Amino acid sequence: MTRITLGGAVLRGTVSTALMASLMSAPALGAAPVDLSKWSPEYVRSIAGTQDFDTAADCAKVTPLDYKGRLTFWYQGVFEGDPDLLRQYYKDFFETFRKTYPNIQLEEQALTYNDLLDKFRTALLGNAAPMAVRLQILGGTEFASKGYLEPLKPEDVGYSTEDFWPGAMKAVTWDGVTYGIPTNNETMAFIWNADIFKRAGLDPDKAPATWDDVVKYSKQIHDKLGIAGYGLVARKNAGNTPYRFMPQLWAYGGGVFDEATANPTYKQIELASPQSKAALQASYDMYVRDKSVPVSALTNQQADNQPLFLAGQLGMMISHPSDYNVMLDLQKKATGTDKDKAQTVIDNMRYGLIPTGPDGKRAVVFGGSNIHILKPEYVEGGKVDEPAAKAIICMWTSPEWSLKMAYAGSNPGNLNGFKTKWMKERLDSIKFLDVTTSMLPYGIPFPALPQSPEIMNIIVPDMLQNALTGAMTVDQAADDAAKKVKDLMGGGL
Amino acid sequence: MLRKIWEHRADYAYVLPAIAVMLIVIAYPIYYTVELSFFNTPPGLQLRDKNFIGIDNYTAILTSEVFWKVTWNTLIWTLGSTFISFVLGFATALALHRDFIGRGVLRAILIIPWVISAVAASYIWKWIYHSDFGIIGAVLVQLGLADRPPNFIDSVSTVLPSLIVVNIWREFPFAMIMMMAGLQTVPDQLLRAAKVDGANAWQRFWHVTFPHLRNVSTVTILLLAVANFNSFIIPWIMTGGGPSNASHIWITHIYELAFGRQRWGVASAYSVLLFLILMSLGYFYVRALSGNERKDGSA
Repeated sequence: MTRITLGGAVLRGTVSTALMASLMSAPALGAAPVDLSKWSPEYVRSIAGTQDFDTAADCAKVTPLDYKGRLTFWYQGVFEGDPDLLRQYYKDFFETFRKTYPNIQLEEQALTYNDLLDKFRTALLGNAAPMAVRLQILGGTEFASKGYLEPLKPEDVGYSTEDFWPGAMKAVTWDGVTYGIPTNNETMAFIWNADIFKRAGLDPDKAPATWDDVVKYSKQIHDKLGIAGYGLVARKNAGNTPYRFMPQLWAYGGGVFDEATANPTYKQIELASPQSKAALQASYDMYVRDKSVPVSALTNQQADNQPLFLAGQLGMMISHPSDYNVMLDLQKKATGTDKDKAQTVIDNMRYGLIPTGPDGKRAVVFGGSNIHILKPEYVEGGKVDEPAAKAIICMWTSPEWSLKMAYAGSNPGNLNGFKTKWMKERLDSIKFLDVTTSMLPYGIPFPALPQSPEIMNIIVPDMLQNALTGAMTVDQAADDAAKKVKDLMGGGL
Repeated sequence: MLRKIWEHRADYAYVLPAIAVMLIVIAYPIYYTVELSFFNTPPGLQLRDKNFIGIDNYTAILTSEVFWKVTWNTLIWTLGSTFISFVLGFATALALHRDFIGRGVLRAILIIPWVISAVAASYIWKWIYHSDFGIIGAVLVQLGLADRPPNFIDSVSTVLPSLIVVNIWREFPFAMIMMMAGLQTVPDQLLRAAKVDGANAWQRFWHVTFPHLRNVSTVTILLLAVANFNSFIIPWIMTGGGPSNASHIWITHIYELAFGRQRWGVASAYSVLLFLILMSLGYFYVRALSGNERKDGSA
């Protein structure tokens, strides 16, 4: 078990108060459903299991349960890196929806994180999009700014804006209008193998406090044991890369723009700042100077780090609470001595807060997904069955299902999910959940700009690859990335 | 001419549906791509809000560093894959042309890389090459031939050759099949006559076999070149064009520009340039085929 005092760490957290204000500055429409100012693992435990919700009855107020219609729906579904538990919940959700709304003909399609954006963009060009879509948090602003989405706010499906994290609502707001509802919100945590730490001469129950420590620990693990220290990920066109590099960039005081401040304007490009370069230098030191991270980091995704970690060949990584369950699933599939080895790794798995930068800044990507309704002109057949779309959105974003669909890997978009009995059950069954809920207040949303997907999925990974392969120096790579962002924002070709 | 068309109106009516389909699925996309190549499509705007910018996309492409890097990669990829696949396929076809026990089985085994899915092959090779726990690296380390696994696809200097090896592995069976078919057209009596005249094995190959294979060789090389110029699956799945654009070839770069970065205008301009290059290759292909027909007709 992790021995760090998480509640205390949260309180001691030196993340800027401005950031907290940014995440918690929802205008009060009434009594806050969950008091975000009290947010701590203890508070989360105290509200879990305190309220019952009747999802079908709630959604019947939005769309009658006997409503007859047809709905096409695409969503970012489970993929190879997710635990089996989550697969079951996705299956259960669609079965329950069909039982609850037996007269809605649902045609759903699951796509992986890395494929969904490309396919959705292509479908939009041909006016062949689905009526409703659940997109990664990066996508909302892009499609809202282009006019593809219908305005949609929590009140439209029976909830209140206050039921959702203010930071998450930012990602579905464009030009003052809300275009979607958050389904889940996630912040990752720092995971390490205590046995590897011990064998490398490190304190097995203490996570590295700073990113400089991560660099040192990674080297020490590699030099002493000959295995990879930290699970760096720098693949292009993969969401895993920004989710792991941006916390490092922000912790050092850098950023793409000023997205880590309370009221970002996204005017000043910060990728070439000394702080951003220091963050990039840390990655360079691990990959090139110390060779203490997987060589395959440039083509790897997090799903490739998981088996490495389970095989005891990787000391530290950033990931979800679900990784513990993924490890259990992988262990079940192992055979012979591999099974015992995997069990040893699971027993030695520890979770902690993501390290801080040199000035004590702690940050993590405020991730998740949102659900949207398309305008009819972009949908196959030119019609959107709005009641049917609202029915599925009401169900998915309900306290019950927003919790269940995020059971192992994320957190419910609807804050009332934290009050359900399933949250209580989850706190007991999902190990290390406290750590990731503790990271939520440190969450920084990606810049709410239509250009964000390109910046995060292409320009930032390119910067890493240019520096790590030696194609450019650290300075040149950062300057080049800053120039690309500048050109992009200026509408360059 | 109009009279001729009128006289053959029934024939034209029969092919009209096919022509209509071709116009819709081939001609229109080509026209639209050419049109789009003269527009700017900023990421914050819908495609219908595009701005006319004349030849700026073409100018931007030809003056960009990435274009020349990607073009160089494409040339290495296409020429390397095509030449080596052809030579290897030809050599294998010659070896399998002779009768020996197990020839049929060997032939079937050698065709496997060509018939399995390119996607599956790419994933398998990605793991074979894996820089940390790939099988090649593990074997080399176990045998004491290397201190640490070689870096195949995570290095800018080795990634392209490594991908070319995979491509050759996948497509040399195609060259082999084509050349085996060609070898069966070489008249036996000519080879026997050459042997009687004292020609050695090399002379029989060079003066009898090879001239008969000239046309099939040309067609095979052109088909391989076109396929390689258009390659997408192997580089995209194995590396996504990385690291640091070192394995980006035209098609993967166009895909990234269009679908990853939504630069539909620039991507279209690239596509037009690619289309022109492939059309020239197509011209030589048609010429090679019609050369065959003329020869066949005169024989």
